[in-house]
Amino acid sequence: MENTIDIFELANYGIKIAEKKAPNFKCAEIFVGKSEYTNIELEENSIKFSEIGSDHGVSIRIYNKRGSLGFAFTNKLNKRIIEKIIKNAIKMMNAGTADPNFQNLPLKYKTYPNVKKLYDLNIKTLTIEDSIEYVKELITVCEDDDLAISQSGDFTSSCNISYVFNSNNIEVFEKETIFSISSNIIVKNESTGETSNGYESQIKRKLKDISGTNTALEALKNAKRNLNRIKIKTKKMPVILSPKGTINLILNPIASAINAELFQYKRSFLVDKREKVIGSEYLTLEDNALIDGAVGSSNFDGEGVPCKNKKIIEKGIFLKSGLLHNSYTAGKEGVESTGNASRRSFSSVPSIGISNFVIQTGTSSIEEMIQDVKEGIFLNSTGDSANIATGDFSGLISQGNVIKNGEIKQALNETMFGINLLDLFKNIDAVSKDYRIYGPFKAPYVRIKDVQIIGSKN
Amino acid sequence: MEIKNELKLFDNDFMNHLTQEAGNQIDYWDIRATISVGTTIDFTDQKSTEISSYEITNCGIRTFVNGGWGFYVLKDLDKDLIKTSFLKSIKLAKLTESLTKHKFKIKEVNPINKNFKIKTKRKLVDVDIEEKILLVKHHEKLASNYSKKVKNTHTIYMDSVKSYVFLNSFGSNIYQDLSYLRLLNIVYSQKGGVIQRSINSVGGLGGFEILSTEKAENLSVKTAQESIQLLEAKSPVGGKFTIIADPKLAGTLIHEALGHACEADLVLSKESILAGRIGQEVAFDDINVVDDPSMGQGSKFGLPYELFGSYFVDDEGTPSQKTVLIENGVFKNYLHNLETSSRMNVPPNGHGRASSSSYKPQVRMGFTYIEPKDWNVDEMIQDTKNGILCEDFLYGYTNPTTGNFQFKCKFSYKIKNGEKQELMRDVALSGMILEALKKISAIGDKNTFGFSSGICGKGGQSVHVSDGGPYIRIENITVGGLN
Repeated sequence: MENTIDIFELANYGIKIAEKKAPNFKCAEIFVGKSEYTNIELEENSIKFSEIGSDHGVSIRIYNKRGSLGFAFTNKLNKRIIEKIIKNAIKMMNAGTADPNFQNLPLKYKTYPNVKKLYDLNIKTLTIEDSIEYVKELITVCEDDDLAISQSGDFTSSCNISYVFNSNNIEVFEKETIFSISSNIIVKNESTGETSNGYESQIKRKLKDISGTNTALEALKNAKRNLNRIKIKTKKMPVILSPKGTINLILNPIASAINAELFQYKRSFLVDKREKVIGSEYLTLEDNALIDGAVGSSNFDGEGVPCKNKKIIEKGIFLKSGLLHNSYTAGKEGVESTGNASRRSFSSVPSIGISNFVIQTGTSSIEEMIQDVKEGIFLNSTGDSANIATGDFSGLISQGNVIKNGEIKQALNETMFGINLLDLFKNIDAVSKDYRIYGPFKAPYVRIKDVQIIGSKN
Repeated sequence: MEIKNELKLFDNDFMNHLTQEAGNQIDYWDIRATISVGTTIDFTDQKSTEISSYEITNCGIRTFVNGGWGFYVLKDLDKDLIKTSFLKSIKLAKLTESLTKHKFKIKEVNPINKNFKIKTKRKLVDVDIEEKILLVKHHEKLASNYSKKVKNTHTIYMDSVKSYVFLNSFGSNIYQDLSYLRLLNIVYSQKGGVIQRSINSVGGLGGFEILSTEKAENLSVKTAQESIQLLEAKSPVGGKFTIIADPKLAGTLIHEALGHACEADLVLSKESILAGRIGQEVAFDDINVVDDPSMGQGSKFGLPYELFGSYFVDDEGTPSQKTVLIENGVFKNYLHNLETSSRMNVPPNGHGRASSSSYKPQVRMGFTYIEPKDWNVDEMIQDTKNGILCEDFLYGYTNPTTGNFQFKCKFSYKIKNGEKQELMRDVALSGMILEALKKISAIGDKNTFGFSSGICGKGGQSVHVSDGGPYIRIENITVGGLN
């Protein structure tokens, strides 16, 4: 991972070739990604599998003056291959259609933010043996519990470097670390034979922030809360979303709905809702790439554009500035890119994605929020997702419980619910001060009044 | 068969070298190396948004000793690098073994020394990018011009040619030339404030001729038609209903709701509700369910190519074969890879699959389907008082531990007193596996037998799968809706 000079030389060589060889050349970009990772897996509550791996690759985007794009990638890094993929990309570009909406790749920026703690030096000295210690913490929690019968999980560490170069003189690179741990614990009620599971994970930039013990304890808590399942009758009632539920039903759908690409194709339920009230006053949200040490933070995006903090929703009002752009969608709309070009790896063209999605926390504690509910649902997770074009949601409560007289009671089987997300946002009547951070999401507990619950009890 | 130059290093000498290096330090090893070359063409509203080409190399070295696995992933196919990585992988296995509680051996099976090749009429590499683009443009145009209500069209063409070598310590040395093609079409239509979308795809293992089939030629028109039809559909009312599922929904239902729980890795890790149920009656007594990923399934449907869920050998060198999951309602077999079959003391049945050579093989399905019986579809509908006819699906999932499943249907028609009535959209179905399998009350005949193919995710990996069946009827299923 040390040969940064080679990459610069290789990329500059590539850009020069592209400028020289591409007919009617407009601009070109070279993206290089390198990563090294380790992974320890746990099965049947026992260490089972250890892995070390590496990945690297380079991609090129070339545009001609008609706005036609050619893209090519490979995972070999040498001059001969660069020449070959540029030739391929030019061939692709020549075959493409004109696009008058394409303006240009990003121009050179004078300054970039200085987000800290994206890289943890400890990765350099982290051995496989050290990694195993985190997995051992998971094992202990499961062993020490009477109801827990099995656990699967893993610990991974990775170091990634990304480089963006373009013919408009952008030349940036960033090194970052990601550590993650997960636990899926199976519990069994010996007297009834009923089994259930609970899942929990952590993703962090800093190794010290990872706790195997806390992850497994939370998974265990979820698993136990999911025992003693009952079916209930169809009824309208309040629902309290756990932080995971908040991600499923509020944060993830909004993240998709404010994607400028979907907006421009008019496939978002928030089209025509800019500067309008879309939720209750409890709903305030920003997309902040500049939080030191956060998983979604970055100094520049997948096209080398500086990242920033953007206010999306303020007290229920969807702000005019609340769209996420890459350079293409920004150019099409005649605005500046918001620095939200996202690339999964060197092998994909930039799409649009969030950085850190932060919802403003409230003043009540989760206990107070539950206490106020006579009859309702505690929703921990759903595997379903809303229809972003319409905002309609209908799906299954994968993990959830009955709330009765201010207490969380039995778990739910075969219970579904349906609501339009705009109604859900408007029906938010409490947000907790407690919150969890899952990857790029900061999510509190959120209470929604009047949700149609579809039970399966006859 | 011509072996790709960069893969020629995996010869017998190299294999002998690795065998010597491994000595008796470890019990088992395998190496997979692939070179994939491919094209993607992405059009939206008749304009290209991405036209790309790639060449990607993957190599994974897996080692095993007494219950512990090691895995080393690299991207450069260099002989010396592979040799040193092999030693590093051995170290990983030994470390894992020193910590694992569950000790076991991998049972030796007969080695395979064979080459396999997907037969194609028109090789993907022989077709110009211009011709591929023309075809995408044609589909975009057909969809866009279908109606004024069509607002957005999106077509993605993906092809890849894969050269794949597999070696293992049993002495297997397998070389494969594979060829994949998929065409995906999405159409959004709008009427007033209502936006609806439909997605369809065709694809499989084969050459460019896949796109000359009737099914492929009608792809975009069908998608446009469906998205417009959905504009007029009503929202469902929640409650309990008798469901008639078409072959696509029936197939995905059996894949998600039953198939995953049959995966022996989930059984061993106590995550499957089917643990300990072999020999038990778990379903309606007239149902047979099998998983058969062997080649030659496409021709059963009159297609000149192989289904996505088919393969010659799995990613551990075990030949694909037919496995009975349920016979006359009785649960018969789990799906296995080398590890689970060794531990459960049965022969491996060819279900160790990985999404690429950079990932370890997991227990996965291939082509899972319900065998046809004797019900005529019209009679099935006529015989239903208060029900819903569900056609095709948007997505579905199951929790294998609790057995709770959920599906979103693409098209649903109300059935009242034996008559098919108005169309509904976004119908969500939910149930418990073991209850629902017993509530099946009718299985259709071979005239309607069909399948669909897609991509299935598990443990961070995606593999191609197919599933299918005839029409089936299930009683008393929970339906969710907005009202």
